[in-house]
Amino acid sequence: MTFLHTNLRRMAGATALVAGFASSAAADDIIWARYGDIDSLDPHRATSTLSLQVWSLLYDTLLATDADGLPVPHFAKSWESNADGTEYTFSLQDGVMCHDGTPLDANDVKYTIDTAFSEDAPSLTKGSWGPITASEVLDPLTIKLTLETPFVALIPFLADSFSSIICDSNGEGFGTTTAIGSGPWKLVSWTKGDRIVLEKNPDYRNFGKLAENPGAPHEDGLIITVVPEPQARLAALTTGEVHIAEPPFDDVPMIKDEGELSIIVAENTGQNVFWEFAVHRPPFNDVRARLAVAHATDAATAISLIYGDLSVPENCPVSRGVFGNDQDFCAQYRPAYDPEKSKELLADLGYSMDNPLETALLVWTGGNRQKLGEVFQAQLAEVGIKASIEIMDIGSLNARVRQENENTEGTTGSMDMMTWSWYDPDILYALWHTPGAYRGYTSPELDALLDETRVLTDPDARKAKVQEVFKYLLENAIHVPLYTPGWEWVFAVRPEVEGFFVAPFVYPNFSDVKLGG
Amino acid sequence: MWRFLGTRIAMGAFTIWITTILVTLLIHAVPGDPVQIMYAQSQGTTPEQIEEVRRSLGLDRSIPVQYLMYMERLLQGDLGATIRGGQPVLEVILQRLPNTLLLACAAMFIAILIGVPIGFLAAYREGTLTDIALMIIAIAGISMPHFWLGLMLLFFFALELGWLPVSGNGWLNLVLPALTLGLSNAAIFARLTRSSMIDVMSQDYVQTAFAKGLPKALVLRRHVLRAGLLPVVTMMGLQFAFMMGGAIVVENIFSWNGVGRMAVEAIFQRDYPLIQGFILTFSVVVVFVAIVIDALYAVLDPRIRRS
Repeated sequence: MTFLHTNLRRMAGATALVAGFASSAAADDIIWARYGDIDSLDPHRATSTLSLQVWSLLYDTLLATDADGLPVPHFAKSWESNADGTEYTFSLQDGVMCHDGTPLDANDVKYTIDTAFSEDAPSLTKGSWGPITASEVLDPLTIKLTLETPFVALIPFLADSFSSIICDSNGEGFGTTTAIGSGPWKLVSWTKGDRIVLEKNPDYRNFGKLAENPGAPHEDGLIITVVPEPQARLAALTTGEVHIAEPPFDDVPMIKDEGELSIIVAENTGQNVFWEFAVHRPPFNDVRARLAVAHATDAATAISLIYGDLSVPENCPVSRGVFGNDQDFCAQYRPAYDPEKSKELLADLGYSMDNPLETALLVWTGGNRQKLGEVFQAQLAEVGIKASIEIMDIGSLNARVRQENENTEGTTGSMDMMTWSWYDPDILYALWHTPGAYRGYTSPELDALLDETRVLTDPDARKAKVQEVFKYLLENAIHVPLYTPGWEWVFAVRPEVEGFFVAPFVYPNFSDVKLGG
Repeated sequence: MWRFLGTRIAMGAFTIWITTILVTLLIHAVPGDPVQIMYAQSQGTTPEQIEEVRRSLGLDRSIPVQYLMYMERLLQGDLGATIRGGQPVLEVILQRLPNTLLLACAAMFIAILIGVPIGFLAAYREGTLTDIALMIIAIAGISMPHFWLGLMLLFFFALELGWLPVSGNGWLNLVLPALTLGLSNAAIFARLTRSSMIDVMSQDYVQTAFAKGLPKALVLRRHVLRAGLLPVVTMMGLQFAFMMGGAIVVENIFSWNGVGRMAVEAIFQRDYPLIQGFILTFSVVVVFVAIVIDALYAVLDPRIRRS
């Protein structure tokens, strides 16, 4: 590949010559290339980041997320809840229009929730809406939600695009050929596997979304194309065929050196990359073995070697920008890099350099994670842990981790570099509350703490409880955070693009974008 | 001839049926659950809900039951719905199949257009420097991975010269992927044509024709070419299947929106109905091409229809 890079570097010089000729889009269309396509235009029918990013352009949400990742008013201008957190009443903005000219009001919110809970085809994220038992339209601009039990993660959920409000005028073809929302961009067409063509919604009003622009986007159109091969994305950026794309990782330093394209790194993505262990058999059923791994791992050095400044070490089980995250608090409990301590723990367990602790180290393919895995492997070897790396796609990894947890026989360990993302610490409930997403570590004590994080309506009280969960997970080395972010967070942008930014939880925003000369 | 074709079609149908069984067994042998994967990047969903979604998709049933349900639908012409996005599989495939067929046909055209004359020339000049040079080029062509050749063409024609676009699905976009796929296959055709022609030229009846003093061009056209091209025609059928396979890599490099790329995504996502639909379509196309080639072969060589 070195030849390719050298070639590319040389060719970048010819960019100016080529750009004008090769650019095939209309002058006012922003072109954004990604590695894959959405699964559906229907927010109830998919869960991928690629889909979420597009929904955020087509639809509005009741609430929005501020720069710190906290929920703020958007289509709902205010909200209140009863004392025990089982009823929420939202008062809505007046005069917001759907893309087809019908008004967006409480009926559309009710329609969205009813669809999410429908008997025949409930939303794939039904569980994240919480135990909603009724949605009631008090008047066109007021809606009341009733919950069976308190569920505080509902509020941050309503700021995320999973809860996108679907206009009730959507009918046949919704999700594949039509998608009527009230967001800044309107759907023109979707050619599956190829491109999504959007045009600006001239009536758009922005109440709480992170963008300077209070109204319609500056540019007329936005085309989201699929270019799976990273080198081809970079080539298309160089020729000017696309304006914004995720570059190949290995080329980021070169792109920075060239200075032609700018690199934008998303912040507060909610993505957390961490160690977890097969805890139902030796050696990792013993906390000392898990701590030995944690103390032997120098995440800061490893990521700086592989990602430079594109990622940062993370101390908490939920990443920066997610409720409860506090680097200083977590640093007190996260096992620090201390190889000597690690060796002591291993000696306690009867291991030595001649009799190393043996484990499989499972890594999700792509994003240079295999290289990172090799650095960690070398660090572990220094204290006498012999880790054999196995690289697999995310599907195999998920299946394998569960299988390893269900396997109680044998003495060879299994650990994995897992990657999860969510906008609320409720993710820890999915991961570590009985029975556990991968049937991994669970305990009655941890279950009780996690149960409470779902019902405490007072933010301070909830934060304290969430941090108790962090402390438990870190001290017991159950969820050992390594770094953030972890995937789809680096964007290369052409020089004529102004105003592009990525909002928390990896939502690229195009409302402020202007294509200069 | 009709009996010959009938037998071929019956055998083709049997092959396709066996394929459906093999695919069902194989996709379930690969670890990974489509629903788990669906929630893999942005989860926050409880295990109970994952189970509920699996049930709704029928993934909680045993593999034989899933197969029977699949066959029942299939016989009614329904290939099911994708797990990701819930769209009709047939529609998703038919939307992209023409792109892949177009690419494979264009590549085949290039391969024959370049490969056969080169092979013929090399055979004609057997043992000379021209022959050796052409065959070295052909070996280089066969050894060159699609991935590498594709990127090189992309950098040269799209980046350096700016003549062609990097990605997309217009007519201009077809040129580079078809060249990539066509050039490496041209090398295969060149080698095959050469050896076949040399073989024919050493036959007694060709030697006799030369000995009679017939003009060289006439002998080559009337006696050598027709007989020498027979193995090439057979190879076309096989190569077409390979090209559909090769299209997977090439489609990725050039963002060509074909079924190959779709299949790779489907496999990573364990989208069982889509994988089944793809393999079924693929096997139908391959079997169809094989039957056409057999028929063509029978036209070219009367001994085959008689047997």
